[in-house]
Amino acid sequence: MFSSGDRVRTSRADPAHHTRVPRYARGAVGSVVEPIGEHPLPDDRARGVTTVEPVYTVRFSARELFGEGDHDVTVDVWESHLESA
Amino acid sequence: MSRINDVGGMTGFPGVVEELDEPPFHSDWEAHVFAMNRALIGAGVYNLDEFRDAVERMPPAVYLASSYYEKWLHGIQALLVEKGVCTADELRVQQR
Amino acid sequence: MSEHHDDGPVAAQTRHVEALLEARGLLDAVELDRALEAFLAGASPAQGARVVARAWVEPEFQDRLLADGNAALEELGLSMGGGIQPQRLKVVANTETEHNVIVCTLCSCYPIALLGPSPTWYKSEAYRARVVRDPRGVLAEFGTELPEHVRITVWDASAETRYLVLPRRPAVPVSDEAELAALVTRNGLIGTAVL
Repeated sequence: MFSSGDRVRTSRADPAHHTRVPRYARGAVGSVVEPIGEHPLPDDRARGVTTVEPVYTVRFSARELFGEGDHDVTVDVWESHLESA
Repeated sequence: MSRINDVGGMTGFPGVVEELDEPPFHSDWEAHVFAMNRALIGAGVYNLDEFRDAVERMPPAVYLASSYYEKWLHGIQALLVEKGVCTADELRVQQR
Repeated sequence: MSEHHDDGPVAAQTRHVEALLEARGLLDAVELDRALEAFLAGASPAQGARVVARAWVEPEFQDRLLADGNAALEELGLSMGGGIQPQRLKVVANTETEHNVIVCTLCSCYPIALLGPSPTWYKSEAYRARVVRDPRGVLAEFGTELPEHVRITVWDASAETRYLVLPRRPAVPVSDEAELAALVTRNGLIGTAVL
């Protein structure tokens, strides 16, 4: 479980199946804005399996994601795609 | 193996063009594709992630050349065949 | 809906699929039309504008809206339940120093239960690809120029949450809630415009 303000890194995995971690946000370090409830993991539900997990809004700097830019981007990420950073 | 739908951050796309006073749907068939998809998900024929998955599996060149609701119709038909609701042959409009 | 009858093969294919599903007992054409009408009657940018205008005139409502979007919607008799699965609403407020923009880079997630179908540009690859990388460039294409000191956050709706931007109240001598609501545009609720 993560809390607001925690530093997290997204998974680098590039699966062949459906997933909701956008390519531009993989392997990136950001900070948790807030936990946003528990929802079925799309990777599994797209294959007919229900695995419910916490989901977090994570804020990244554009510099972290693209190497440039002065804005932020937030992505909503399921817990199994995150690790502490 | 990121799929063609995963375009966030990609370069090379043109400017964003806004259509003034755009209606919710441009034609009846778009509204019907939209309504059919909701009904099929509501009836439990497939779920939303299976639907997204079906659209994402489109061949990249077809995906990029298709309008939004054309992509949806493609995804619906792929799932109807995969779920055994009907066959690919049945989905083909009869030539008259 | 417009009066297009000549959409060619794709319209014919849609009718064919619908007839096939009706024959299978999975769809009812009358019910489908009824559901579509009900959806379009209940979801439009005007609903989002109502929410925004209330937040402008009642700071306590604004606080509740930002803390729990779904609960605040209920106060106005609105909900996020018109979607195909329950959706959490997160409202993000623009300030003098912060500007918010929403997108769904992977598909087209949008507060559809509240605002109705999203505009075509919102679903386009061009918007989805570019706004996360160069929001200022994309906003400029909408004629929206923000001062240098304003920090932009782009919210990518990649899970079950739907985002809505609370624009800044325009500096006009209007205090009536309905008149204020009339100033709110769809692009303002997405964040590609300031009001």
